[in-house]
Amino acid sequence: MGTPLKLKRVGGIAEREIEILEVSESRVTARIEGEQVAAQIERLPDGSAMLEIEERRYRIAGSKRPKSIVVAAGPTSAEYQIVEARRGARKGGLTSMSVDAPMPGVILKILVREGGAVSANDPLIVLEAMKTETTLRAESAALIKRICVVVGQRVDHGATLIELAEPLK
Amino acid sequence: MKRKALKKLLVANRGEIAIRVMRTARLLGLKTVAIFSEADRGAMHVAFADEARLIGPAPPSESYLNIEAVMRAAIETAADAIHPGYGFLSERPQFARAVEKAGIIFVGPTASAMEAVGDKVAARRLATDAKVPVVPGIETADANSVRAFADKVGYPILVKAAAGGGGRGMRVVAESAALEGALESAAREAKAAFGDGRIFVEKYLARPRHIEVQILGDGYGKIVALGERECSIQRRHQKLIEESPSIAVDDKLRARICDCAIRIAKAAGYRNAGTVEFLLENGEFYLLEVNARLQVEHPITEIRFGCDLVAEQLKIAAGEHIPDPVSPREWALECRITAEDAEHDFRPAIGKVSYLNLPTAPGVRVDTFLTNGAEVSSYYDSLLAKIICHGADREDARRRMLMALDEVTIVGITHTTAFLREVIASDYFGRGELSTHFIEDHFANWRNDVTSEKAALIAAALVASRKLGDAEASVSSANGRVDRGADSPWARLGGFQLWERR
Repeated sequence: MGTPLKLKRVGGIAEREIEILEVSESRVTARIEGEQVAAQIERLPDGSAMLEIEERRYRIAGSKRPKSIVVAAGPTSAEYQIVEARRGARKGGLTSMSVDAPMPGVILKILVREGGAVSANDPLIVLEAMKTETTLRAESAALIKRICVVVGQRVDHGATLIELAEPLK
Repeated sequence: MKRKALKKLLVANRGEIAIRVMRTARLLGLKTVAIFSEADRGAMHVAFADEARLIGPAPPSESYLNIEAVMRAAIETAADAIHPGYGFLSERPQFARAVEKAGIIFVGPTASAMEAVGDKVAARRLATDAKVPVVPGIETADANSVRAFADKVGYPILVKAAAGGGGRGMRVVAESAALEGALESAAREAKAAFGDGRIFVEKYLARPRHIEVQILGDGYGKIVALGERECSIQRRHQKLIEESPSIAVDDKLRARICDCAIRIAKAAGYRNAGTVEFLLENGEFYLLEVNARLQVEHPITEIRFGCDLVAEQLKIAAGEHIPDPVSPREWALECRITAEDAEHDFRPAIGKVSYLNLPTAPGVRVDTFLTNGAEVSSYYDSLLAKIICHGADREDARRRMLMALDEVTIVGITHTTAFLREVIASDYFGRGELSTHFIEDHFANWRNDVTSEKAALIAAALVASRKLGDAEASVSSANGRVDRGADSPWARLGGFQLWERR
């Protein structure tokens, strides 16, 4: 059907691989993180559709934005970035992940350094936006590959702040 | 108090409350005036009103909190009444005075009643004089006195700002060693945030329920109570879910608590709508604070008492007498949907709505300002919509709420609906085991469930491969506007209409 897509939630780290295997008028089959998933779909005239998956029904809709895809599945809302597949050899199984700004703001504090290792939930960077301080935390253990911003820098929604790599085993 | 027929109402607010107030004003035959900031060009409340005035740039201090600018708009449009909504200037005595001084009717309490209840220390004294129980406390920042008090009532204690409100300017002190530091930093923060560094201290109740009473007072000294609302489910002192009646309040307690609410209101010479908030613990209730305005959650009271509280406010402002309340019926529930990321510490989200579907059904009411294409910015509070459901009993209301929340579909902005849905569906909520710690206790570190994530991923993959209609394309062609993205010259054009510059 298509190439597998790697989607990452904006503001998060985890990447999810999804491949649409088959789409017809009434069915969608996909492989999500290696698991085959089947769903019924019923399209509506406004561009949305009713999706029935695992005995639950969701009104789904979405749009392409310049740098992301925004969707809704019933009450769940999500914004994803398509992670570009790395061409060529992947060295030793390492894949890249990044921490992106979930909203526009100013970098207040950078709590990690390049080369350092972090565990799940460790604070990484503090962003100031809308009069609140938001601390972005590691979603899982990782290595800090590159810090892409400096304290005081103004960043846009979706800007890459830190590049991560999988932790050394 | 004279009777005066109101003709034109200026609503000094924005978002869902501005539209909600204007709808009732229109029903009562009044003309409406909207005020808006640069960030609210194209907002629904502006288009809805009969007239609108731009009052300043986006930051609230330069627009919605700018008394001069608001008054200028009122005078220019010859408004004869102003409704302040909630938040913004609604509890600023200075504003109420400016309005009255300009010969315009302020739809709310008098400035002096506002002052009497707005200062928390003053409210405590008022309550005590009216024989209304207050949380054991001490009105001083002197460390030694506070320490003695804390030793007497036991830790933890709560340091609060006298001029604070809405849960801001508070510090929990768990042990004696942290006392001085907490008093000092709380006073500093209070001075910075509210311009008033006065603090006081209360015993910190372990697991209270938040119970509040809606009161209405006319200009003739009559005050009525319209039952209670339970607002225990909060996060960082922001209410998420409210219901009426409260499962924890029986008829006897209700009579006592409503009676206390009326007594405080009378003592303050209160007029128009207000809410008296209490904390309930182990069958004992204590005054928390008095809110001299209409509250966000007022619809659940409206449904139970078959009334329109904004209409009552306008009638009171026009000099009418208030009737006795009818017997309430049914159970009502409200969920506040906010633009926040519930999976990441509820951090505020901004965005533009590119697809919107909101529920409607018997027993379902939605108060919102959202439209397809609406922009949610970072300047104002994050409330997107209120979903209000009612049913014959609590379970009935709850079932309708689940169905309603399942139908909320918003593309383009992160919102808390899925989180709220799970809270309502939980056994804890079903059993009514509520306290102000409910969210911390049961819903810390919440994540979307796996099936919902799969559905979202499928939606994203279908959009990416153009197998699901791009909702943005549909919006653009529907209203004839072509959205070419952020750097299009079309995006930089200010709002204007062919026949009138607003």
